[in-house]
Amino acid sequence: MKIFYFEFLKLRKKSRGWIGPILVFVLIMTAFPLTVEFLNEDLDQAFFSVLWISLMLVMMLATEDIFLEDYNDGSLEQLAIKNQSLALILGTKIFIYWMLIGVPISFIGSFYGFGISRSFDLGLNILPILLVTSYIFLNVFSFGNALSLTKGSVLGTLITMPLVLPLLVVLGKVVITINIGLNYFGFLVLLLGILSIIIVVIPLIISFIIRAHLE
Amino acid sequence: MKTIVAATNLSYKINEKKLFQNISFDVDAGSALHISGGNGTGKTTLLRMILGISKPTRGSIESFAYKDVCFIGHKNALKQYLTVEDNLILLSLNTHINLDKYLTDLDLHNSLDVTVANLSFGQQKKLALLRVFLNDSDLIILDEPCVGLDSNSQQILCFFINEELKKDKCIIFSSHIKLDIKANVLNLDKL
Repeated sequence: MKIFYFEFLKLRKKSRGWIGPILVFVLIMTAFPLTVEFLNEDLDQAFFSVLWISLMLVMMLATEDIFLEDYNDGSLEQLAIKNQSLALILGTKIFIYWMLIGVPISFIGSFYGFGISRSFDLGLNILPILLVTSYIFLNVFSFGNALSLTKGSVLGTLITMPLVLPLLVVLGKVVITINIGLNYFGFLVLLLGILSIIIVVIPLIISFIIRAHLE
Repeated sequence: MKTIVAATNLSYKINEKKLFQNISFDVDAGSALHISGGNGTGKTTLLRMILGISKPTRGSIESFAYKDVCFIGHKNALKQYLTVEDNLILLSLNTHINLDKYLTDLDLHNSLDVTVANLSFGQQKKLALLRVFLNDSDLIILDEPCVGLDSNSQQILCFFINEELKKDKCIIFSSHIKLDIKANVLNLDKL
């Protein structure tokens, strides 16, 4: 449990690392309606496209130096020689990032969804989707970040971006389903299924990648 | 005496250049091994092999330490944007019974609220070395621990290591600076 507190302490003091992505998200969501016709009937639908894409980009931004700082200052080396599982430590680190960045962004996104659609139900319905999706994005981009740890984080996250594109298709379908009043629960289960695989596999793969970098 | 680290016929090759070949050694509890040699002879690589971070090209190395290894490398594993006190929390040393003694001995007791980035190189090294002074390991590995340290801190470190050896701990270190520690020497220049 200590790792929770330690990661939280680091992120709390390094406010740029988590407030930055949240502010970028707020800026995009606030600026978007200003760039389209105010009475545009398509605003609702376009809004969700912007919501998903900005969520993806902001999660990419959030993972920018998730491992780099620890790699540069030797903390990863210290973690790698512990008797504790490195994959578990890294998985916890991603979880803390999600708690501090993904969860607030999901609530903010849900709030904007409510504001744009003027439908409380819609705002509430997309909240679990945002929560699950942001966690999936964080895991995938952390994987990309680990891949290009010594070569600059942008390269790795760009390489992994095609992995999340099918997710955007699913997210598009979710909004259509919610808009026509159908039950979107099946999509949520599908996303939870993807997440359950990802949170097990990705930290494990990242731990191998990081060990390779350290070697 | 119980063997803590056992290396058999270790060889390491990087870009077709042989760093060392067929090194074998055992380090027992209560004894120290000083790995010496010039720059680029593979001291750090050998230490990283003992830690399990690097793999030998040939041969095997086994560590029989039960607890987490205490390691100080070239990187201090300190968070530059945090204060000394916060770093001690991260290292789980803030509540250690001997913390105040070593903070005073190393002249860090007045720097608890100072950001690590504002400490000198030597002070950062001393802060990193608190992990050694307050360790709970049976194997301590130090890569050039005296770089940047003043002579007083070097003496404190040597005294501490000699005391740890009496407690049956196993210590492996590399150092260019001659240290007053009773240790077997493995000179990579002569291999």
